[in-house]
Amino acid sequence: MTIFPENISTYGQEIDRLFYTISALVAVAFVISLFVLLYPLFNNSAKRVKKATYFTGAKRKHFRWITFALVALALSDFYFLYAEHGAWVTIEQTQVKPDFHVSITGRQWNWAFTYPGLDGKLYTPDDIVINEMNSELHVPINKNIVVDLWAKDVLHSFFVPNIRLKQDCVPGRMIQRWFKLTKTGTYDIACAELCGLLHGKMRNFLVVESQEKFNGYIDSLYKKNAPALTMTNPSN
Amino acid sequence: METPHSTTHAPQGFWTKYLFSTDHKTIGIQYMITGLFMAAVGGFLAYVFRYNLAFPGESIPLFGQLDAMHYNAFVTNHGMIMVLFVGMPFLVSGLGNLLIPLMIGTDDMAFPTLNMMSFWIFLVSCLVMVAAFFVPGGAFGGGWTLYPPLSASGYVNRNPAFWSTFFSATPMFILGVALEFVSMLMGGINFLVTTINKRAEGMTPFKIPLIVWFLNIATLDFMVSVGPLVAGAVMLLLDNVVGTGFYDPARGGDPVLFQHLFWFFGHPEVYVLLLPALGVMGEIIPVFSRKPLFAYRTIIYLSLIAAVLSVVVWAHHQFIAGIDPRMATFFSIGTIIISIPFAGVFLSFMATLWGGSIRFTMPMIWALGFIGLFLIGGLTGLYLGSSTFDIYAHDTYFVVAHFHYTMFPVVFFGFFSAVYFWFPKFTGKHLNHTLGMIHFWLTFIPFNVTFFVLFFNGLAGQHRRVNEYSSFSNIMKEPYITFEKISTIGAIVLMVSQFIFLYNLFISLRKGRKAEKNPWDSNTLEWQADSPPVHGNFNPYPVVYHGPYEYSHPSSEQDFVPQDNPIVLKTN
Ligand code: HEM
Ligand SMILES: [Cu+2]
Repeated sequence: MTIFPENISTYGQEIDRLFYTISALVAVAFVISLFVLLYPLFNNSAKRVKKATYFTGAKRKHFRWITFALVALALSDFYFLYAEHGAWVTIEQTQVKPDFHVSITGRQWNWAFTYPGLDGKLYTPDDIVINEMNSELHVPINKNIVVDLWAKDVLHSFFVPNIRLKQDCVPGRMIQRWFKLTKTGTYDIACAELCGLLHGKMRNFLVVESQEKFNGYIDSLYKKNAPALTMTNPSN
Repeated sequence: METPHSTTHAPQGFWTKYLFSTDHKTIGIQYMITGLFMAAVGGFLAYVFRYNLAFPGESIPLFGQLDAMHYNAFVTNHGMIMVLFVGMPFLVSGLGNLLIPLMIGTDDMAFPTLNMMSFWIFLVSCLVMVAAFFVPGGAFGGGWTLYPPLSASGYVNRNPAFWSTFFSATPMFILGVALEFVSMLMGGINFLVTTINKRAEGMTPFKIPLIVWFLNIATLDFMVSVGPLVAGAVMLLLDNVVGTGFYDPARGGDPVLFQHLFWFFGHPEVYVLLLPALGVMGEIIPVFSRKPLFAYRTIIYLSLIAAVLSVVVWAHHQFIAGIDPRMATFFSIGTIIISIPFAGVFLSFMATLWGGSIRFTMPMIWALGFIGLFLIGGLTGLYLGSSTFDIYAHDTYFVVAHFHYTMFPVVFFGFFSAVYFWFPKFTGKHLNHTLGMIHFWLTFIPFNVTFFVLFFNGLAGQHRRVNEYSSFSNIMKEPYITFEKISTIGAIVLMVSQFIFLYNLFISLRKGRKAEKNPWDSNTLEWQADSPPVHGNFNPYPVVYHGPYEYSHPSSEQDFVPQDNPIVLKTN
């Protein structure tokens, strides 16, 4: 049993690593606290110790063990903050040069994908929109994919466990995120924010494939070129 | 000091004595019984959807089929009921009413009639919540966090035919919560005024028992934080019934605004429940360690700091909600800082045990169980305080497991500790110890069984509020399918074993061993009144000479010194 689903993004490992680092501290803190809690229960039961020691802990000196523990906790907390900051900036605050730019819209109850049309630009009349339940989002492997996240009706949250990326989508806003994927295959896209009746059925697929296959897929979309496929961004 | 009870005399009739009573003890018990009923409702909902999660699509014993719409409604109402309609009456109104006047040595609350009104409004709020299940379209299903735009329109249940009328799910849900707030504010005013003005002679601030301090800090925290949410809820109500667009971006509104208003209340609310529960532990642990509470004053200072900080950490619930990512760092730091005073309080409780002479009575065992479970809840909070890890863990079962590891001990272990401790005081009867032990182990173990496995489901990527997971066969595979079943079995055992508690209450009330005034050899004033205390509590009013935790003082013969005992303690 692996703890996490397989990671396919360039930054996913950093989140996994963060988990193990925090776990190490948590394990140490847990064992120590458990000892502090359990030791007196065995050692100081009324059967063994008839009379308790009068000790108020009111003096600062008495509090020093606790102060030590709290400082240690604070320091390790701030260490995480420091250690994780890089990953946070990578995922949330980095503008990468897009190799491929796609727009994703959450709606009740599927993700709609908008690819740039022949002009190569998004939000132009020739955009290609795939808007149905269980449809696929195709992206090339090893490329910087920039996604514009929209919501049409209510809140949604774009969640691909294998990428370790989750981002709420808010009506009236566009939120940009990016990823670079290292493994081909088909993965689930879920919606992690309650969005009404079929929230749990809101599932699409992410297909990661080689540049050639991806080009082929896009070409086939252009060829179909059915008017039904061309419409403006559903969030407008 | 004025002569006691010159103006109050015990009401005689059944109605005034048990129903429309202004006596703080009766009102406290009324709150707790109402809370128990709501716990049964919230627990039943949990049973139904937990069963559905383990055995999707199957007919649920005692219920039947559960569809997606009802699943959402059940989860939503379970959350809101457990927090506001079980936690609050158990820990804040219930304990506050029962304990504050007795522990500060007075006859009743400052405004007894207001107090009675607060209970009756609370009862109405409970009825509104329950009644909402029976309106057309069923109860509100937009999540206990009520996030718009979902909650601001008929999208919730996808049935626009009824949403515009007032007696439909969303307005009723908001109304129920609003009434609960009104009731809590009325009760809270009473707590503060009573504690400030009605303390027994000699009860200086640092002779007040910890739980009374904590109940007051909790009340203040509640009062400070609830205002913005009330404003937010009014806007939500208007969006629903009048059709305004406060949260509708198409008309210039902003859905994220509500999230801020909700969590500005929602996070402090966690501490509003936590503080009284900690207060219970702060009373029980010294009594059964026969030792003063370690660093009593420091604990109070730490909690005051935490209460102030609690209103500036809310956005850690919104790390990925579309707020400016640079803000996350600020709220991460806040979250880390606020964990420190609480860790200090817990460590002080543990330090109290060291060097003690520990008695493993029922209340003590529940208190120790509380600390053990909360330890897991608190430590798993470290993962979520990290905004980066939260990108992955947010809205998964990791969060569900984490907050149940905090909220369940707070609400139920806090409540049970208190009941096992103070039951003799308020009924004059002892609870049965053997039944109490069985109840403890059949709560402690199944609780862990229910929620520990869910951490792993969350880490595997399982997201919340999904009625059946068949669409995600990549995530919902073995062993996670089995984990779902284990969790459900744990939950069922957990719920069934609560009947042992009810039976214990019932049988002990009728046949329990009689309790003396002060069965645990405690110091605080409530134990110096009769068991059960008479109307008016004390005659004459006590005068306070000592702090609440003078156990095993070297200059005293017996190992406890009641607060109103005039002997002089030599300090060294
Ligand atoms: C009796 C034992 C309990 C069981 C078996 C239980 C089970 C659950 C489960 C499985 C969920 C997640 C459902 C989902 O996301 O699809 C949930 C949600 C929740 N529970 Fe509990 N729970 C219990 C007690 C409590 C208590 C004591 C509290 C708080 C005081 C509580 C507060 C909540 C809240 C706030 C939610 C979130 C609701 C939402 O997503 O809108 N629960 N519960
Ligand atoms: Cu959605």
